[in-house]
Amino acid sequence: MLKVPHVTSYLTEHFAEDAFGTLAGYEKKGGYAAARKALTEMAPGDVIELVKASGLQGRGGAGFNTGLKWSFMPADSDVPKYLVCNADESEPGSFKDRILLERSPHQLLEGILIAAYAVGACTTFIYIRGEYSFPADQVERAVAEAYDQGHLGPNVLGSGFRHDVVVHRGAGAYICGEETGLLESLEGKKGQPRKKPPFPAQVGAFGMPTTVNNVETFCHVPYIVNRGAEWFRGFGTEASPGTTLFGVSGHVVKPGLFELPLGTPLSEIVFEHAGGIAGGRKVKGVIPGGMSMPILPAGQLDVPMANESLRERGTMLGTGGIMVMDETTCMVRVGCVISYFFRDESCGQCTQCREGTGWLNKIMNRIERGAGQSEDLGVLLDIAAKMEGQTICAFADAAAWPVQGLLRHFRADFEEHVRLGRCPFTASFEL
Amino acid sequence: MRITIDGREIEAREGATIFDAAGAAGIDIPVLCHDPRLDPVGVCRLCVVDVGERVLAAACVRRCEPGMEVRTNTSDIEADRAVLTELLMSEQPADHEADRRERAFGDNALLACARRYDAWGDSLPRGGGRADDTSSSVIHVDHQACILCDRCIRACDELQNNEVIGRTGKGHDSRIAFDLDVPMGQSTCVSCGECAAVCPTGALVDVAIGPELRPRDELEAVDSVCPYCGVGCALTYHVDRERNAIVFAEGRESPGNRQRLCVKGRYGWDYAAHPQRLRVPLIRRDDAYPKGALSKDVRGEHDGRRKPGGIVDYDEVLPAFREATWDEALDLVAERLSTIRDRDGPDALAGFGSAKCSNEEAYLFQKLVRACFGTNNVDHCTRLCHASSVAALLEGIGSGAVTTTYGDIANAGAALLAGTNTTANHPVAATFFKEARKRGTKLIVVDPRREAIAEHADHYCRIKPGTDVAFYNAMMQVIIEEELGDRAFIEERTENYDALATLVADYPPERAGAICGVEPDDIRAVARAFGSADSAIVFWGMGISQHVYGTNNARCLIALALLTGNIGKAGAGLHPLRGQNNVQGASDAGLIPMVYPDYQSVEDPAIREKFESAWGRELSPQRGLTVVEIAHAALEGSVKGMYIMGENPFLSDPNVNKVRKALSNLDFLVVQDIFLTETAEFADVILPASSYMEKLGTYTNTDRRVQIGRPVLEMPGEARLDWEVVCDVSTRMGFPMDYASPSEIFDEFAGLTNAYATLSHDNLGAVGKLWPNPDPERDDGPVVLFDDAFPTENGRAKFVPAEWTAARELPDDDYPFVLNTGRLLEHWHTGVMTRRTRVLDAIAPEAFVAMHPDDGSANGLSDGDNVTVESRRGSVTLRLRLTTRECRGAVFMPIHFREAAANLLTLDELDPDGKIPEFKFCAVRVSAAG
Amino acid sequence: MISTGTRSKIEAEMERYPQKRGALLPALYLVQAEHGYVSSDTVRELAEIMGLHPVEVMEVVTFYNLFFDRPQPRHHASVCTNLPCSLRGARVLLAQLEEHVGSKVGEPTDDGRLVLGHEECLGACAFAPMMRVDDAYHEDLDLEHAKSILDALE
Repeated sequence: MLKVPHVTSYLTEHFAEDAFGTLAGYEKKGGYAAARKALTEMAPGDVIELVKASGLQGRGGAGFNTGLKWSFMPADSDVPKYLVCNADESEPGSFKDRILLERSPHQLLEGILIAAYAVGACTTFIYIRGEYSFPADQVERAVAEAYDQGHLGPNVLGSGFRHDVVVHRGAGAYICGEETGLLESLEGKKGQPRKKPPFPAQVGAFGMPTTVNNVETFCHVPYIVNRGAEWFRGFGTEASPGTTLFGVSGHVVKPGLFELPLGTPLSEIVFEHAGGIAGGRKVKGVIPGGMSMPILPAGQLDVPMANESLRERGTMLGTGGIMVMDETTCMVRVGCVISYFFRDESCGQCTQCREGTGWLNKIMNRIERGAGQSEDLGVLLDIAAKMEGQTICAFADAAAWPVQGLLRHFRADFEEHVRLGRCPFTASFEL
Repeated sequence: MRITIDGREIEAREGATIFDAAGAAGIDIPVLCHDPRLDPVGVCRLCVVDVGERVLAAACVRRCEPGMEVRTNTSDIEADRAVLTELLMSEQPADHEADRRERAFGDNALLACARRYDAWGDSLPRGGGRADDTSSSVIHVDHQACILCDRCIRACDELQNNEVIGRTGKGHDSRIAFDLDVPMGQSTCVSCGECAAVCPTGALVDVAIGPELRPRDELEAVDSVCPYCGVGCALTYHVDRERNAIVFAEGRESPGNRQRLCVKGRYGWDYAAHPQRLRVPLIRRDDAYPKGALSKDVRGEHDGRRKPGGIVDYDEVLPAFREATWDEALDLVAERLSTIRDRDGPDALAGFGSAKCSNEEAYLFQKLVRACFGTNNVDHCTRLCHASSVAALLEGIGSGAVTTTYGDIANAGAALLAGTNTTANHPVAATFFKEARKRGTKLIVVDPRREAIAEHADHYCRIKPGTDVAFYNAMMQVIIEEELGDRAFIEERTENYDALATLVADYPPERAGAICGVEPDDIRAVARAFGSADSAIVFWGMGISQHVYGTNNARCLIALALLTGNIGKAGAGLHPLRGQNNVQGASDAGLIPMVYPDYQSVEDPAIREKFESAWGRELSPQRGLTVVEIAHAALEGSVKGMYIMGENPFLSDPNVNKVRKALSNLDFLVVQDIFLTETAEFADVILPASSYMEKLGTYTNTDRRVQIGRPVLEMPGEARLDWEVVCDVSTRMGFPMDYASPSEIFDEFAGLTNAYATLSHDNLGAVGKLWPNPDPERDDGPVVLFDDAFPTENGRAKFVPAEWTAARELPDDDYPFVLNTGRLLEHWHTGVMTRRTRVLDAIAPEAFVAMHPDDGSANGLSDGDNVTVESRRGSVTLRLRLTTRECRGAVFMPIHFREAAANLLTLDELDPDGKIPEFKFCAVRVSAAG
Repeated sequence: MISTGTRSKIEAEMERYPQKRGALLPALYLVQAEHGYVSSDTVRELAEIMGLHPVEVMEVVTFYNLFFDRPQPRHHASVCTNLPCSLRGARVLLAQLEEHVGSKVGEPTDDGRLVLGHEECLGACAFAPMMRVDDAYHEDLDLEHAKSILDALE
């Protein structure tokens, strides 16, 4: 049975009801009204303006203004334009999109229809990570229902707008979550991110103008259309409006998914909503936004969970995947797990990413084994620094940041390993 | 546009990358993954520069924008590059001194970075454990030295268009891989070496062919041209003068090949240094008469399938000859030839020149035969290759050469490849065909054999052997019926259209389809693809020409181009792909029995007078005999003396058993060659000649490009330059020839032609010039000919309709298969050169006959079986290869193998116009060898 | 050999994309469903069907974790060992399961029934530890539960 302890919600309000996943159940709760409104009462440009005004930020990690992204699509163009839903959720610590796909596929489809109408896309490709078999089945079922009911196809909701949706399953590669890696993969290639420019709005899927948005981003859109930009801005902070889905995992009493306004303090999420640290232990560090984001130490959990405030602490909101580590945790082991992941998942194109992720992992392992030398810490930082801001996509940055974060806040753990020639954290999670 | 790089204002052209703009301004940006010939990918990240954004930009990828401010060498960026180098170096094999590329060529780009940044990978744990792959004959693969720059992948994809190399896996464990991740030597790699040529590290490095590989700057670079096929790739030989050896060859920039080479050009030059080279003149011993074949292979006494590696056993043949001085040998040649001329008349003599020799040598040789011998009995292997095409072209459009270059396919909407196995026979041209197809040219391949190029075709039609005329007539029927022809072109620039229209009306696709074994709708689809293209080129090869109806085949292709207005504009034209490196030039120079240089008829009194006055001799008014006719005449006894320079008719002519008798029957035969060939076994005198690598001369490629080949080696022993030998023979026979240099010979030849009139050795430049060329000082020459008029009497081209006729020797119950013969990528013609190159012989050591697997199982034969192939004229025993490339009912044999000579089986019937023999259709049976 | 049924499904997939190559991932899933893995012969055949070079298909097969280029045991059971799961004992669980089935990670059991593996994050972080058995997720596992799931596999 799914546990979704929602708190302040619209996205997840009806998630306890299985029927919400069906077209009938979704419509019963007012579903597709926003799409009807947008497609029949609004001009595409108005939809874009509305979403822009709402301040909705992309929920896939980068936090770019969604309406602004839509406005980059060429308005008058005689080539087909595409919309892509990025459902390749793979950021460790994140599982919100999976829950959205499983519990509310029609909420997603409605958001897609509105967005497609706004940017003039003829087809949406929903790229779902390969491991998400069950979620993909749910989406396929919903798409079939939508076609049956005329919510998709040549005359969407009787509006005259034509739209098709293709569900595309990935095949297991983290890098396909990067939007141009995803486009390559969608085209049947290795998921190697593309050089930019050109950006997808110019040359995207199959060479055509394309907008890529995250699952959750689409899901917010019907509510904005129904209830207005001002209503939306009633949640969250000035710079980061709306709610978002925080996934909390690790050493907490009640791990789970929490829909809360952006700007909710991290400490509130960890200690109130997630029930605090299990076993009465103390917290040691928290990764606030999925594994790519630098860790925060126990003393900094007062930070509001919004990009503008997290940036001041040297980290970011990312995908809102919060990983909590208690006092027993060996941060070198954390570094080993993280660097192994990036070593494995680099697409292998850019030198510093392919080689750098490998070396970060080797050195982490060496330190954990007790074979590290004092220069190794410098080498880690050197390599991490040279991986940042230089590669085709942000993967290398994402691999470098956590290493930098660990060394910024937990350097002592590393030094202790080197000094003792072994791992001193006997109660830590096992490698 | 103006941009600023490192504080300097620079003018950058629209679309230029930062890397290009910086390079043009002399600002050096280090790079590993970029090569100017390849699409940039920006993966090594060494060339990153600061353009004021959050992320550094790869200079090789990022285009300049007006006002851009770029910094290429801040201390941060240089520190980044040092770390990158360190990361890469830590994965390199530990012993940098032993790096293969550095030792071989001295140009390991990664080691250059290591020196520049003093970064040797020592601060990091050293990587290891990636294996070497030594399975290829030509390239050593060291995965540990690979930096995943993707240059090899792009070179294979974008330059050679072979798509063999890829990446396997992802992340830190990515590796380059061949095909389905098999060793290179077991992959579909064609060993062109383009990947090794672009590799910046020791990962893909050529294996040494001659002496040990050495850095460029220790060697002398000699710009020359490849000696093999008609594509005529420009290349550079890197030569060790002290050791008189080529160390390696490398592609050179030219409009023709743009630095690309194939396996023969890049790795197949060591034949010139083979120990079997002839070093002194040889005279047949008295006890070796009566004349006849000396070796078992040539005697035809085969005892089952031979082992691979069939070069001549000199121990078997040399005892029949004694060494002689040049004086003795030349005196003997002059005396015996003079005696025959004076006793039996000039027409009792004949000469075969060679399309492997230069224009100068070809010109002198035909001058020798015509002016000194006094006969027009001079021919060469064009007779065996495109004589029928030339006959049809001269008749149809008044010129025997191509009307456009093969590279013009880039401008073509469609291209028809008819009867040409281009990937094997014109490999570098084929790379441009495949490239054009990727860029949108519709490729139509028509061939009974489903050759590699067919895999790239938009339309492939497998016609039954010998049904070309019916197929193309049907294409024309559809084009006319569906009004896809070019009415204006037909009316303004052609004649005899009605006759064509009347004839092809009898070839609706239903009828032709039944003849050709092709679905009628497929013929229609091809006709529409060709007929509706804005421009279309027709390429053809031996599959069209080497038939008794070869001229008719070519007539159909010419008519097809005329019908659709596809001559005289960009991306359109007729291009018979010429085989030998100088078959175009040798023909241009008059090595043809009917014409003087530049196709001027020997039967035209005015022309004859011109040559008589130029050469100071009375000339024969009768056209001479062609290659096969000369062999027949020798057999009958009317031709008694022959001079053969660089040809090997014993293996190259049809019906070897007859040729053997003919050569044995000659009163006197002098063979001038670099090896003791099969033909030389019948010689009275053998003269040691110069190889291509040892002489200066010009060669005209399939595009009409006249290029200079330069000497790179000293001749072995007493071998002499061919042109000097010809002069000596002529002089001793009473017709003095005296030239100071090949350049002087060229000038005499050019002066007697229109096509070459403006050209000289001095104005050919680095990459040669196309003929005709009104302004060679400034212009490369015209790609497209006849945009206005054809060089015919009335300026119009002529439709020559042709009826389909069945082949001469059809399969029957006794001989149920059709035998087709042809070439392999790795070998050249009679194998005299290529079987003496280490690499080519290693890759393709053995003769075989190829058959469709269904025919194999129907006859109880399996792949690898030892089989005997018999025709009414002979039989050979060799290995069977089953492949779906062959069509049902036909088998294929390569022509290169003396121990299993395909021409023992072929039919010596001739095309009535081109006099070309039927190499591609005779009836055989195939059975398990006893 | 790719069956005619699978071939026609592949051809139908090719129709769904603006360029037929887009159907490569779906096509690989289809051939893998039929054969259990993607053999070299299948790669060649699929390349032919889709108008690709074999090397292009090979690259894709080896790039993605869910495609296999050699025969596979009947079941894959993979425990997520990424950070959130490791924090909640996933690696210990995996080691215990190795002992239980008598085979190491990546080494199929002798009867060809099963191979244990470890996975990177599968999006079940709040329900750790978890394991993916073939296509199905099993969450909030303890050792006994996990063993019973594996034991029930045929």
